[in-house]
Amino acid sequence: MGNLRQPVYLEEKLEQVRESGRLNIRSKSLPTWCPGCGYFSIVDGVTMAINHLQIHQKDVTVVSGIGCASRFPFFLDTYGFHTLHGRTLPVATGIKVANDALTVLAIGGDGDAFAIGGAHIPHAARRNVDITYLVFDNGIYGLTKGQTSPTSVLGFTTSTSPYENQDRPLNPLLMMLSYDTSWIGQSYAGDPRHLSDMITQAIAHRGFSYLHILSPCVTFDKTSKTYSNLKAQVQLLPDDHDSSDKIAAIKHAMDVDNPPIGLFYKENRPTLSDNLDLIVDKARGRNARA
Amino acid sequence: MTDTDIQLMFCGSAGDGTIAVGDIFKRAMAKAGYKVIAFDIYPPEIRGFGKCISRVRVTSRQAYSLKQQSDVLVSLNDSYAIPHVTEIRDFGSVIYDQAPIAPMAEGEHISGHLLPGQLPYGLRIREISDQTTGGSKSKNIVALGYLAGLYGIKGDPFHQIIQEKFQHKDPSISETNLRAFDTSYDEGASTFRLDFIELGTPERQDVGNKVQMMTGNAAVVRGCLDAGLNNFFGYPITPATSIMESLATELPRRGGRIVQTEDEISAIAATIGAGYAGTRAATATSGPGLALMIEMLGLGVMAEVPSVIFCSQRGGPSTGMPTKTEQSDLHLAVYGGAGDAQRIVLAPTNVEGAYKCAGKAFEMAEKYQTPVIVLLDLYLSNRYETVVLPRQNPFEADSSKYRSHLERGVAYNRFALTEDNISPRTIPGEEGGIHTITGLEHNEMGRPNDQIHSKMSEKRHNKLLQAFDHPGITIHKRFGGEGKVDVGILGWGSTFGEIFEAMLMAQAEGINCSAMKVVMLSPLPSQPIKEFFSDCGEILIPELNYEGQFANLVASAVSQPFTRLNRVPGVPMQVEDILNQIRHLADRVKSPTAA
Repeated sequence: MGNLRQPVYLEEKLEQVRESGRLNIRSKSLPTWCPGCGYFSIVDGVTMAINHLQIHQKDVTVVSGIGCASRFPFFLDTYGFHTLHGRTLPVATGIKVANDALTVLAIGGDGDAFAIGGAHIPHAARRNVDITYLVFDNGIYGLTKGQTSPTSVLGFTTSTSPYENQDRPLNPLLMMLSYDTSWIGQSYAGDPRHLSDMITQAIAHRGFSYLHILSPCVTFDKTSKTYSNLKAQVQLLPDDHDSSDKIAAIKHAMDVDNPPIGLFYKENRPTLSDNLDLIVDKARGRNARA
Repeated sequence: MTDTDIQLMFCGSAGDGTIAVGDIFKRAMAKAGYKVIAFDIYPPEIRGFGKCISRVRVTSRQAYSLKQQSDVLVSLNDSYAIPHVTEIRDFGSVIYDQAPIAPMAEGEHISGHLLPGQLPYGLRIREISDQTTGGSKSKNIVALGYLAGLYGIKGDPFHQIIQEKFQHKDPSISETNLRAFDTSYDEGASTFRLDFIELGTPERQDVGNKVQMMTGNAAVVRGCLDAGLNNFFGYPITPATSIMESLATELPRRGGRIVQTEDEISAIAATIGAGYAGTRAATATSGPGLALMIEMLGLGVMAEVPSVIFCSQRGGPSTGMPTKTEQSDLHLAVYGGAGDAQRIVLAPTNVEGAYKCAGKAFEMAEKYQTPVIVLLDLYLSNRYETVVLPRQNPFEADSSKYRSHLERGVAYNRFALTEDNISPRTIPGEEGGIHTITGLEHNEMGRPNDQIHSKMSEKRHNKLLQAFDHPGITIHKRFGGEGKVDVGILGWGSTFGEIFEAMLMAQAEGINCSAMKVVMLSPLPSQPIKEFFSDCGEILIPELNYEGQFANLVASAVSQPFTRLNRVPGVPMQVEDILNQIRHLADRVKSPTAA
C-alpha cells in the first residue's frame, strides 16, 4: 500500500515510457479488448520490439485476419491491413514479394490460424517468407462470444459444445516444427518481459518466424487457460536446450501439461525473396546466352 | 486481287501429329502474309487415342470466327474423319491415304463416304512417308506437302517452320521431314491443281509493324508484360494455366516475381497484398478458381486495393467440362460475393482485344482502386489469330492517384471523400501516409465505422462509372452501319466473332441488320445499349450459356423485349444458328402478324 501513496513513481514510469518513444508506435485508437485481456501486453511487446530494433514505423506493415487478435493493426501507428478470416499469411506473402524492404508482421488468433487458415501455414513456412507470424492462442473464439476453437482442451464447455468438447486440440508447435519453420518460439502474455524479448528475436530473424503466445480470455474462459492456470503450468525451456536440435524441440513441444516458453528451434536458410532473386538471375543468365 | 478465304480441317487420332501439322500450316500461312484464325479440339486425356481436330481459316483480312463448312479435309485417321465429311462444302476437297495399312472393308474407308460434289484426293501419304523417312510417323508432313503443292503455295515458309519445329531434335529428323515434304509437294504441284479453291496473293498492308500469330492467353501475357506486371500469383487450372506457364519464363527475365501458391484463395490474397504494397499484380484462373476467389475480391472492393484477375471460362458448374468452352461465369464475375461489391469486368472479343484488355486492366485497377476481372473463355484463350500489335507500348506505366504532397502535421485520410470519389493513396514505406485498411466498413481514416455506410457505398459505386471514359479502350462498339435497322445483334466475349460473321452473311442476303459488342460488362454501359435498342426493330442476344447471363444484365438495364439465343454445346456457337435467328427476326419485323 505504501507505493500507491507515492504518485511520483507512476509519473517516473510514464516518463520512461514516453522517452523510450514506444508510445509513438501506438495509434490513437484505444484497444477494444476486454479489461484484463492478455493481448494488451502483446501490443506493448510489439511496440517495445519495434522500438528496440529501431525500425521506422513507416516500414512496418501489420497484416491480420479476423477475430479479437486480428483487431491488432488498428492499435498501432504503422501500415496495417485487416484482411479476411484465415488469410493473413497469403496477403502478407504478397506484400513481402512486392516489397522486401518492409518489416511484415502477420497476426491472428488460434481459430484464424489453425481452423480456417490452417492450409496456408505450411506453405509460408516451407517458402520461408521473411515475415513474423504471431498467433495469440486463448483456446476460444472470443469475438463471436465464446465458442470452441481448434486449441480448446478436451472436455471444455462452450456455447457450441454445451455438453463438452470432444475434438482433440491441435499442437501448433509440433505442426510448425514438422513444417520446417525456420524460427519457432513460445511465450506467455502473463510474462511481458519474456514476451517482448521473444517478439524482438522473432522480428530480428531473417525468414519465417512463428511465435506462439499463450494468452487468457478473461471473459469467456473461466476454467481452462486462465492466468492462474497458465501461471502454474508455464515453465521456461531449460537453459541447456539447443535451438538447433529439432528432436529436442519436438520433445519439448509435446509437453502440453507444462508448456515450455522460449526459443524452440532456429535455422538460417534462404528466404522466399532470396530464391525469387535467384530465379531472376537464372532467367536473365539463360536469356543472355540465348 | 482475289479475296482469300479458305478453311482447312485436319482430323486424326492423338499421336498422328494432327495438332502439330495444323500448327505448321497456320504458322507458314501467317509467315506468308495471310491472316489466320485457328482452333484445335482434342480430348482431355493426356494419353490415349482420342480424336484430334485442327481447323485453320486463312483469309486476306482478319476473320474472328471459324466457318461452319471447311473447304478441305485432311484425314490422318479415316474412322475419326468420316463423321466430319459432311462439314466439307460442295466442290470442297477431301485428302486421304489411298493405301490403307491393311486391307479394310469399303465402308471403313473414307472414300466410300464422300458426298456427291466433293472432290476426292486419294494420295500416297503413308507410302511417301515410308520411302523418305523409313516410317509412317511423318504422314502428317507428307499430307502437308501435298496440300502446299496442290495450292501452289511457295514451300519456303513451310521449310522454315518445319526446321523451327524440329530444331531441338536430332538434325536428321528435320532433314528427313523436309525430304518428305518436298517429295509430296512436287507430286502435288505436278499432278493436281485444286480447281474450286482459290488462294489469292496476300496483301502486306502491315509493313513495318510486327505481325504475329498468337493465342488469347499469349496475348494476355503480352498485355501483362507491356503493362509492366511486377508480381504474379497463380494456381494451375485449365484453360488458364498457359498464362502462368509463359509468365513463369518471361516475368523473371524482366526482374518480376512469380509464385505458384497453394490454392486460388492464396493466389488472389497475395495479388491483393502486392497491390496494397504498390506493385502491379495479377492472377489467372477459371470458373472454379474464381468461385474460391470471390470472398477476397470483396475485400479488394471494400479496402479499395487494385488487383487484376484473368478468368478463362470453361463449361460449368463445378468441375464441369474443363476442355470445353462456355460463357457461363458472367454472373459470378459481375455479381459474385457478399454485399454490394461493384467491380470492373472486361471481356475481350478477340485475341487483339485480349492484349488490350489485359494491359488496360492494370491501368483501371490502379486508377479506380478496384479489382478488375478480365473474362476470357477456352475458345478465345486457345485459339490462334494473326494480330498486329502496336509498336509503341500503349499502356500507362502508373495510373495511381497518389497523395501528391504529404504535409506535415495534417492527418492523412486513406478513404477521404473527394469529388471524383477516388481517394489519394499511399503505400507502405511512404513517410506520412501511414494508415490501416480493412474489410470492415470504415470511415475516411479507415477506422471501423457503421455510420458512414451509405456514403461509402455511394463512393465505391460512383468511382467506377468513370471507367466508361477510360482512355484508349473500346468498351462498346457498333458494327455494320448506323441508324435504324430491322435486326440488331448484341453480344459479348468470343461469341462476338460468330455474331459478326452471321451479321455479314445476313447483310449479304439483304437483311437490314447491325451488331454491337459490349466489352465492359461491369459497370454496364446501359446508355449505349439503350440507344442501340431504340435503333433496332428486333434484338437478338446470342451467348454460350444456358440461362442467358448477359441477356439478364441487359434486361436489368432496358425495358424492351428481346430474343435470347442460348447454346451450351461446349464448342463455339454455329454461325448458321445465329443467321437463322436473324432471318427469323427479320421476317417478324416485316410481317409482325406472322409472329
